[in-house]
Order: sequence, then C-alpha cells, then structure tokens
Amino acid sequence: MHRSLVISFGFHIVIVILTVLSLPFIAKKPIDLPPLISIELIQITDKTNIPFAPKAKKIIEKIKKEKDTLVSEQAPPKKVKKENPKAVPSPDQKMKKIDEAKSEAIPLPEKKAKKVKMTEEKKQNPTKEDTKVKQVSEFEKEEIIDPNKIAALIDKSKKEIAETTKTTNRVTQSQDKNMNISGLTLSEEDALKAQIFGCWSIPLGLPYNENLLVKIKLKLQPDGSVIKTEILDHARMNKPGQGFYKVLAESALRAIQLCQPLRVPTTGYERWKDLQLNFDAREMLEG
Amino acid sequence: MKKIKYLIFILFITIPTKSFSLIEVDITRGNLNPLPIAVSPLSYNQESRSALEKELKIEDLGSEISKVIENNLKKSGLFNPLNNDAFLQKPDIAHLKPRFEDWALIKAQALLTGKVDLQDEKLRVEFRLWDVLAGKEMLALAFTTVPKNWRRVGHIITDKVYERLTGEKGYFDTRIIYVAEEGPKTKRIKKLAIMDQDGFNTKYLTLGKELVLTPRFSPTNQIVTYLSYFRNLPRVYILDIETGIQEVVGDFPGMTFAPRFSPDGKKIIMSFAKDGNSDIYTMDLENRIVERITNHPSIDTSPSYSPDGKYITFNSDRSGYQQIYVMRSDGSKTKRISFGNGLYGTPVWSPRGDLIAFTRLHRGKFYIGVMRTDGKGERLLTENYYQEAPSWSPNGRVLIFYRETKSGDQGEGFSAKLWSIDLTGYNERLVETETDASDPSWSSLLSN
Amino acid sequence: MILSKFYRNTFLVLLLSLVLSACATQKAVKIDSKIQGDVYTGTDSVKYLADGVKDRVFFATNESVLTTASRDTLRKQAAWLRKNSDITVVLEGHCDERGTREYNLALGERRANAAKDYLMTYGIASDRISVISYGKERPVDSGSSPLAWSKNRRSVTVKAN
Repeated sequence: MHRSLVISFGFHIVIVILTVLSLPFIAKKPIDLPPLISIELIQITDKTNIPFAPKAKKIIEKIKKEKDTLVSEQAPPKKVKKENPKAVPSPDQKMKKIDEAKSEAIPLPEKKAKKVKMTEEKKQNPTKEDTKVKQVSEFEKEEIIDPNKIAALIDKSKKEIAETTKTTNRVTQSQDKNMNISGLTLSEEDALKAQIFGCWSIPLGLPYNENLLVKIKLKLQPDGSVIKTEILDHARMNKPGQGFYKVLAESALRAIQLCQPLRVPTTGYERWKDLQLNFDAREMLEG
Repeated sequence: MKKIKYLIFILFITIPTKSFSLIEVDITRGNLNPLPIAVSPLSYNQESRSALEKELKIEDLGSEISKVIENNLKKSGLFNPLNNDAFLQKPDIAHLKPRFEDWALIKAQALLTGKVDLQDEKLRVEFRLWDVLAGKEMLALAFTTVPKNWRRVGHIITDKVYERLTGEKGYFDTRIIYVAEEGPKTKRIKKLAIMDQDGFNTKYLTLGKELVLTPRFSPTNQIVTYLSYFRNLPRVYILDIETGIQEVVGDFPGMTFAPRFSPDGKKIIMSFAKDGNSDIYTMDLENRIVERITNHPSIDTSPSYSPDGKYITFNSDRSGYQQIYVMRSDGSKTKRISFGNGLYGTPVWSPRGDLIAFTRLHRGKFYIGVMRTDGKGERLLTENYYQEAPSWSPNGRVLIFYRETKSGDQGEGFSAKLWSIDLTGYNERLVETETDASDPSWSSLLSN
Repeated sequence: MILSKFYRNTFLVLLLSLVLSACATQKAVKIDSKIQGDVYTGTDSVKYLADGVKDRVFFATNESVLTTASRDTLRKQAAWLRKNSDITVVLEGHCDERGTREYNLALGERRANAAKDYLMTYGIASDRISVISYGKERPVDSGSSPLAWSKNRRSVTVKAN
C-alpha cells in the first residue's frame, strides 16, 4: 500500500516537473523593453516657458551674496539635455559659470583661456545650454562697459565692488529677457518652418540614398525679407557625380525666394537677423 | 600706461562682440508638387514661317514644338506646365529679355523660351531656361537638324530641361517597341510596332501573318530582336529598322525565345528549349559563335544583362517554382535573389545598375516591383489582375509594362494596354497606342 | 441491465458517426465534376483523331506531369499511330494565362515533350513527332475561371500530313 503510494506520488512529481520545464515562459528569455524616456509636453506659447528659470534667479541671488572669488579650474560645463526642460543645472555648475565671469577680472592669460572655453561650450551644447552661457557673456559684456570694472583692472581692490554692482544689475533685469537671449521660441520656429514647408517644392528626381542636406545662411531685414543668401559647402555644387546637389540647392533657394517675406518674430531682430536654414530632403524622399 | 593700454586692447579683442550663436532651423519637409513651369511657344521670323509651312504643312511650328515639350513635362509627373493663355510676354521678347515679375505673377518658377529658324534647308533651334524667382538664366543651348525631325527637337529640349531641373538624365528622345494586338483572344493577330515615347510616329515592322512576341531594341537602336513563328518554327530573329531585313539568329534545332541584346550590342542572349529543358545561350552576331551559359534540367529563361555586362539576372524554376537568380556572365556563381511568397518572373536590370525590376504573382494577383541586385529592399509598385513584363526607361526612373483586362468572365471585352509608372510608385499612367499593345521595350536615348 | 445500456450507447454512437460521414462524402461529390486535382477531366474542347482516340491531354497548374487519364489517352494515340505508320504529328504545348509570357513558352514546350516521351516509350519513332510550344498565345477558352484555365493547360496532338 505504501509502496504504491510512493510510486504514484513519484510519477506525479515527474509529470509536474516535465510540464513545468516545457512551459514556454520558463524557457524564454525576458523581453527586452526599451528604457522608458520621460517626456514632458511643453505648452507652446509666445515666450518659451522654461521651468528652471525661477531657480536660476535664486542661484544668481545666492551668488550675489557670496564674497569669495573662487579662482577655480575651468572645468567644462556639464551638458544639459535639450529635451528635458526639467533639467536643473546643478548649483555647482551655475556657480562655476558665475565664477568664470568673476574671474574675468583676474589678469589676462586666464581670460584668454576662458574665452576659448566659452566658445567651445557654445558649440557643444544647443539652446538651453547656450542660454546659460549667454548669461555669462552678458556678464562679460556688462563688464566692459562698466567703468568700475576697468578701474578694477588697475586696482584689484576695487574688483569686488565692480562685481557686486555687476551682479546687482544682472538680477534686476527681467527673467524672460534672460531666457530668450538665443534661439527662436518653439512657436516662432514652428511658424517659420510651416511657412517654408509650404514653399519648398522638393525635386522628385533626387536620388533617395544620398546625402540630401543643404545649409543656407540668410541675412534678413527686420520685415523678414532676405538681403543675402549663402550656400554653405558651395564647392559641392560643381563636384562631379553630385549634380543633384545643385538641383537641391536651387530648389531650396527658390523656396526662400517664394516665401519672402519670411515669418520672422516681431522682436529681437538682433538675434535672428542672421539665420541658417538646413534643408534636408531625405525624410520626404525615403518615406 | 602702456600696460593699461595693452590690457584694454586685449579686453576688446577677447570680448564676445555681441554675437549670438547662429540660429539654425531644420527644414525637413516640403511639398512634392510638380514644379510650375511656363513653356513659351518658340518664336520665329516671317520668312522661316512661310517656308516651314510649305515644307512641313504645319501652321505654327513654334507652338507645336512647345506643345511636345509641355506634354512630355506633364507626363513625367514632375512638372506642371502652365496655361499659355495667361502668358503676358510675347515669345520673341521673352526669349531676349524676360520680365520676371510678369512670369512670377502667374506663379511660374521656371520659364522656357526659344527660337526656331530655317537656315539652308536646316532647322536651327535655340532655347533658354530661366529661373524666374532668382531672375537669371539657367541654361542656353542651340542645335540644328532636318525639318522633319521637329518632334525630336521638342524631345531633346525636354531632356535638357529635365536634366537641368532634376539632376537626372531625361528619357524623352526615345522610342518604344511593342507588339500591336488585334482580334479575339483565341486568335490574336500580332505585329511588331515602333513609336516615339509620346505615342506619335507609329510604324509597323511586320504584317501580322505570323505570331511575333517579346521584341527588344539593341543599344545602338538600329536593330531589334524578337521571337517569330515564321513558318511555324518559333525562333529568335533580328531585324534592321532602316532596311527592314530580317534574319534568324543562329541555327538551333529547337525553339529559341526570350531574346535580348548584350550592353555592347554585340551578342544576343536567349533561351533555347530542347527535349523539355530550356537553358540560356548567347550568340555573337559577328562571328556567330554560340555559347551555353546555363546547364540545368530546370527552365531557365528571361535573361537580362547588368549595364556593365558582368552579370546576368534570369528566371528559373530550379527551386520548384519560378524565382529570380543572378549569375556571372559566364554562367558561374548562380545565386537566388527572390524569396517572397508566390512566383517571380521577367527580371530586368536597371540601366543605372542598382535595381532589378520584376513581375510577381501571388494569391491570384500580379505585381510589378523592384528589388536591389542582392534581392533585398523589395518594393511592389503596382497591383493588378493581370500585368507583367516591365521595361526600364534609359535613365532608370520609369517602368513601362502591359496590362490585360476583360470586361466579362467569359473573356469578352478583352484588351491589352501599355502602362508606365515612376520608380517611386507615383504617376501610374496609360501609354496611348493606336491598337491594343503588349510586350513593350524602351530604347536608349536616340541623341547620343 | 448495464450491458444493454452499453450496447445501446455504442449503437447510437456508430449511427451518429455514419450519418455525419455520409453527409461529408455527399458534399465532396457535388463540387467540380470537370476538374480533378487541378486537371481538366471533361470533354468540352476535346477533338478525336479517330474513334475513341482523344487528341489532347491536360495538366495541373505549373505542372507537366501526366495523369493516369492522360497516359490512357496517349496509349490510345500510340496504338493509332502504330496502325497508321505514315502519319506524322505535331504536339502543341499550351498554358493558361496566369503566368508570365516567356516562362509559359518554356512550360508549353515541356508539356508537349512529356507527351512525346510517353508516345516514344510505346514505340513511336521520334522523327514522326515534332514539338511546338504556343505558351499562352492560343487558349481555347478565353474566360477567367479555374475551369477555363484548366482547359487551356494542354498538349494537343495534331496531324502533320
């Protein structure tokens, strides 16, 4: 009696194990889900509303209170992702920036080095980062005009006074003006894009497996009409085997001509009077 | 003091001079609308006019030529020729100095003007292509030809304009050879026919007494090859268009069919069927040497050379069903390249060398498609109850093929017509022929 | 008691299964009496070389295999040819329209040769038989139905003299 029970129990276990082993979910590898990217939907308004602006104000005020002039190593700024508006630059970063500005007061060789770093930063990081860098250059700009600053060059003791004045000036300016220093706001950019999309007749005969990017620099009047156009990589126009590039460039120029006057923002002429349009036909032709 | 000056100097040159980084806007979309172009009738002076009228029996040659051009541009699907009635400037003035504002008013982005003269019995043509928006001349050419070639003048101008505005060579100064069909489906009468690519100047090369099929142009355009059932013996023939002389190709003891020319025009490649097996052979037209290319108990047919002559694509059922293969031109290194469901046939190598067009039959439907020469990137362009046999335009951009339709289940209302479609799948259109038509083949550019 | 119940149940089950299978077979018979295994079995377009000697055999789509019925027809043809030893024939191979033109020319040739080979195994000399393919150029039925197409997939023996 016991024996048969044990045997029966044994077989049952074997069957269960077999079933379990052959079930698909055991054998399969776990599914590779792509990591979730958090996206925040931005409301498009006339002025780009970037959440971190208020924080920047706080930081600037904080710096104002600081007394010591850090002659820090000019570490390259951390790159802030363009897509994530919630990216708050760390206080350290902000400090470093301000420090760089302050350190401008310090003698020359370092200044040169900093200059280089500034331009590097600008190239590496798109708009948001630019904003921050821009702030710094604003500082520098202020410096030159600031008579105190110049006097400070002569007399280092006066340096700190100059800085304080400078930073005071900085903070009293409106928040928005700081943020809109560079780049078109999202809605301005969209408006311009939509306008040009409508004017650009893409030549259908282009080979869809080649580089179809044409960059054109524009000089604009305040009313949006074009003073001058310049095709970057002009040499490619006459290269053998790249005949389609000429056709592509000409179609882009026609689009610009057709769309005059361009839909430009109503203010801030200084920032968009030089504009670069990158025409890329790849998406339309490949799809 | 000097030190201060030095400092100030350095300050000035190192400050960032109020430079904002250049704003870049990405334009990744546009419209795929045909380019609006104004084709002004060609101008010509009074003396030429009367002489031309007398010779060609045409009233307004300048206008007729521009109509040829307009028609070509419109059918390509890439251009939108604007209505003549809206033109503000007269042809002769426009050709000398166009008032771009006038043309921009009617929304033209390009303008074509020209002049035609009769000089020493010859037709002299001059034309200019203008960029209306930029306000400058894009192209200016002149050439001479015999008056009766006036239609070709229109085609040649179209080719130049097309090339200038799209970057690709044109395909308008070409001819199409096809089989003209008549009669009930059970007893079709078939003749070889040639026409200009725009449907004009149709000429019949055979009388219809014997069945003729699958004609092809030689690259030199003077000879054609085809299959004929002359004396009930289906064999491959060549025919000289100028002289009309026909000649059988080789001396084969069985049916030869599916003939094409090699890219240098020196050889004919075809299938030879014996004892139930069809293999691919070539024959040199000069020394008559015959070479066997495939040797397999399956059906091997529809061979097509790559433009450099190094490879051949063909149709074989060696895997059990019709599929497409590629091999070296000596028959070695055969590789299958079609793998989708259904049957594949009629492979044709593009003159650009990058694609192979084919017919595919799947679940009762016929498709015309293209694939890369390694078989990847298969794209089906059009679907129909019955269609087959694509042929490439010389610039490798347009495919011409034929379709059969019936209005009833019993075979009533049977008709066959030529159709063309752009490589992108757009612009599918009927190619007008005088009669029903099938088996089209496109010539290379005549003006080379 | 239990046994009779057992017998009754078995009987019911058997009866039910018989009823069901009978229905099934009845349906199959009705569908297409003229096509079997994709090969035409009717006599619609068929002509006769002599009494009881059909002039043609039919094939399945894309096939050149001879069916039993085809072989029977060809044996009769061979017998007739042996009796009339001065007659030469042409075997015409044909296809339906649901294929590309050039491949069909080759397939027609293959079908005609399949018939020729069979005739030769019954003693007919090869110089009495020539072969020609018409691909899909000469259908007997221009309709667009499987029935019409099956009539076109054929090899026809035609008197040459």
